[in-house]
Amino acid sequence: MASPWCWSCLSPLRTPRAILPSSTTTTRITTAGFHSTAVQYAMPAKKNKNSITQLKYRQGQTLRRKKKKATENRARPPAIGERKAMRKRIVLSNPNALEVEGMQELSPETMIDNRLRGSVLGLPVTMLDQLRAVQAFKPRQGWNIFRRPGTVLRRDALELGQLFEKISGDDPAEKGKVVRKIITGPKGSGKTVHLLQAAAMGFLKNWVVITVPDAYELVSGTTSYSPIEGSNPPQYVQPNATSALLKRTVEANSKVLESLKVSQKHAGLENLKPTMTLKDLAQLGLGDAALSWPVFQALWAELTATSPAPGMENGFQSRPPTLVTVDGLSHWMTKTAYRAEDYSFVHPHDLVFVQHFLSLLKSDKPTLKNGGMLLYATSTSNNPSSYSLEVGLDQMIARQDGVSPTSPDYPAPEAYSNADPRVLELFKPTAASGKEGVLELQTLGGLTREETRGYLEYFAQSGLLRENINEKWVSERWSLSGGGIIGELEKLGRHVSAPAKLAQPTPDVE
Amino acid sequence: MARHAPNGIVQAMQLLRLQGTPYRRVIPSLRPTARFYATETEPQTPSTEALPEQTAEPQLEVRPAPEINFAKFQQRPARIVPASRAYFSGNPRFIDHVLNLEHLQQKYASLPQVPAGEAPRMAWFKLAQFRDFVGEAVPVKKYRSLLKLLQQLNRIEPGIAPQEVRTAISVFLRPGNPYAKEHTPREVDENGCARAKGKRKTSTAVVQLVEGEGEVLVNGRSIVDVFPRVDDREKALWALRSTERIDKYNVWVRVHGGGSTGQAEAITLAIGRALMLHEPGLKPVLRKAGAITVDARRVERKKPGHVKARKMPTWVKR
Repeated sequence: MASPWCWSCLSPLRTPRAILPSSTTTTRITTAGFHSTAVQYAMPAKKNKNSITQLKYRQGQTLRRKKKKATENRARPPAIGERKAMRKRIVLSNPNALEVEGMQELSPETMIDNRLRGSVLGLPVTMLDQLRAVQAFKPRQGWNIFRRPGTVLRRDALELGQLFEKISGDDPAEKGKVVRKIITGPKGSGKTVHLLQAAAMGFLKNWVVITVPDAYELVSGTTSYSPIEGSNPPQYVQPNATSALLKRTVEANSKVLESLKVSQKHAGLENLKPTMTLKDLAQLGLGDAALSWPVFQALWAELTATSPAPGMENGFQSRPPTLVTVDGLSHWMTKTAYRAEDYSFVHPHDLVFVQHFLSLLKSDKPTLKNGGMLLYATSTSNNPSSYSLEVGLDQMIARQDGVSPTSPDYPAPEAYSNADPRVLELFKPTAASGKEGVLELQTLGGLTREETRGYLEYFAQSGLLRENINEKWVSERWSLSGGGIIGELEKLGRHVSAPAKLAQPTPDVE
Repeated sequence: MARHAPNGIVQAMQLLRLQGTPYRRVIPSLRPTARFYATETEPQTPSTEALPEQTAEPQLEVRPAPEINFAKFQQRPARIVPASRAYFSGNPRFIDHVLNLEHLQQKYASLPQVPAGEAPRMAWFKLAQFRDFVGEAVPVKKYRSLLKLLQQLNRIEPGIAPQEVRTAISVFLRPGNPYAKEHTPREVDENGCARAKGKRKTSTAVVQLVEGEGEVLVNGRSIVDVFPRVDDREKALWALRSTERIDKYNVWVRVHGGGSTGQAEAITLAIGRALMLHEPGLKPVLRKAGAITVDARRVERKKPGHVKARKMPTWVKR
C-alpha cells in the first residue's frame, strides 16, 4: 500500500477517494454540465403502444383485436355477361344419354296421329335453330338430360296438331280460321312446352311464327322506351324490344319471309323498295332501332294482307297463316316499372308493343286475315298477382260453362277491389265474326296414365331410369306427381329414389 | 293441542240434523244452577193425575214405576251433540262410510264370493272425485282401504248379492258408468269410406280413404301444391306405396298444424290406420313398413334458467 506521506517532503498526501462521494450513494448526472441546451428540449421518450395506460378517457377496456384483411381473390371474375349467359344457356343434347331406338320425329303426319299418343316425338334437328331463334326453349326444362330434344304427344298436343291441320288445310270452312286461346294450368303442367310444340308445328306447316318468349321483359323497365309524339293519352314505343322481336322473327322464319314480296305501300320507310322481300323489310328494323316499330307495323300489314295494293301486283303470293305465342301473360295485366312524365307508373296497355298483341285477342274485328293462332300462356313460376286477370279468367270459365254474362252467377269483381277496367275490358265477351274465333281458355292438367307410361318409358330408354316399368309403378308415379303433372314426373324420372316395395314376410323354407 | 271450536255453520248443520226429534230450547234464565255435562234430566211434564198426588201427600200409596217408553227418551241432550260419533276424528263422513261398509261386510261375510277377476267391473270414484263427494281431505292410504272394502263387497256372487249391499256400493260409482259401453272398433262406413286420424309432432291429419284410382287431395289442393318436396309426398303416401295399394284408393285429407314434415308423417299414420279398416290383413306389412307406428315424441318444453329445453347458458367467470 502506498504511504500516506510524501517521501520527498514528508507531508501528508491527500487521498482523493475519501473526498469523492461513492457512486452507489449518489445518482448519476446524465446531462453534461457544459451543455447549454435545456433539458426540456430533449426528444420525448417514445410511448409504448400496447400499454393499457394509453386508453383515453371513457374508452372501453374490452379486448380489441386487429381485423384480418380479407384475402384478395386472385381469380379473375367472369367477364361481363358471362354469368347471365351461363344462367340462360340452353343445352339440348347430352351425349351420355342413350339414343332411343325407334323414336319418331315430329312431322305433319305424326303430329295428328292418334296412335302415337303418349309417345315422345323428337323435334326435327333442322328445326332446332328456328326454335332457338324464337326462344321457345327455356333453361331448366330438362332438355339436357336426353340425347335429343323431344316432347310428349299428349292429348292437348294432338288437338293442337289437328287445329294446325285444319287452318292450313284445304277445307274452305276451316281454312284461314283464327283460334285464340289463353293457356293456364298448375305449375309444371307444360304450358311453355305447349307453346314450343305450337311453334314447332307452325314451322312444320310453314307458318310465320312470332313469339314473345317472356312478357316480363317488356314491362320490367329493362328495355328502352319513348313516348310517341302527339299521342293522347301518351303511348310508348319500345324500340329495342321491337328490334329484338324482328330479329327473332327474321331468324326463325327466313325461308318463308324470303319467298314473299312486299305488296303494300308503307309511308315513312324511305329505304323500302318494291322489289324487296319481307325478310329485307324486317331487316330494315334491325340496324336502326328507331325504325323498328314502323318496320314491324309494315311487316304486320304485309303478313295480314290478302291482296296486293294497286300497282304492286307483281309477284304477289298469298300469305301464310301466323302463329303468335306470348308467355307470362299476367305481367301485362299489372303495372309496369316504367314511369310516365308525371312520375306515375305507365299502364302496360299504353305500351304500343303490348297493346298490339293484346288487341289481337278481340275477335270483333278481323285481325289475322290469313288465319292463324294466338296462344297466350300464363306462368306460375314468375307470376305477379293480378286480381283483374283472375276475374277475367273466371269469367271466361263461366262463359265456357254456359253461364250467361247477365246472370247473377257470372263472376264480377268485388266491390272496392279496385279491379283494372282496362284488363276487364279485354275479357269481355265478343261475338265471333267470320273466321275469327272467340277467345277460349284452355287449362292444361296432368297426363293420363297411358301418357305417363310413355313418358317414363322414354326416361328408361334413355338410360335414366333403372326400374321395371309396369302398371303399378307407373300409377304410383302418377299419384306422386299430383295426377300426372309433367314437370313433377320429370323430377321423379331423373331422381333416384328408394324402392317402395318392402320385402314381404315370407315363411322360412328349410 | 288444538281446541275443537265448532263454528256457526257446523252448529247450523247439527241443528238441521236434530230436527227429527223435538228439541227444547234452553232459555238461559230458566236454566238450573246445577251443572250437567252431558245430559239434563227433564222433569216430568206435569200431568193432571200428578197434581192431586202431590197434594195428597199423606196417602203414601206406593205405586209401581210406569212402563218405560223407549220411543221417547226421558233425557234430552242439553247441548248440541254431533250426529256422528266420528265427528271429532277429522273426517267423520269418511269414517261413517267405512263403518257402514265394514258392518255390511261382517253381516254378509258368509255369502259366497266369486274370484276377483269375475266380479263385475266397477268404475269407483277417483280419489279427487271421492274427496269432492265426501267433502273431506281423505288421505290416499285410507281411500285405498275403503276401495278394498268395496271390492270385497263387490265380489259377493252377483246373483245373490243383497239389495242393501248393492245400493251401498253404488254410491261410490263414478257417474256415467264408463265401463258400461263396449269398445266398438271403427269400420268402413256405408259409403265405403274409412276415416282415421294421425298425429306427428304438432300436426294432425284426418284421412278419408275410399276405393278409387289413386287420386290424392290434401286440404282441397293437389298434393304437389301442398308438398313441393318429393320426399314429403313419398312419405305421405308411404302406407299405400309400401303395400302397393296406391292405385286402388282415393285419399282425401284434412291436415293442420306443424310443418311440412310433421304434416306428411301425420298423413302417413292416418292413411295407414284407414287402410287397416279396409284391409285388416295388411297390418303386419304396415307395421313392418312403419306406417302405423306412432311417434309420440313432441317438442320438449323450455325450462326457466335454461336457454332451450336442456341447454344451459354459457359459464362466465364473472
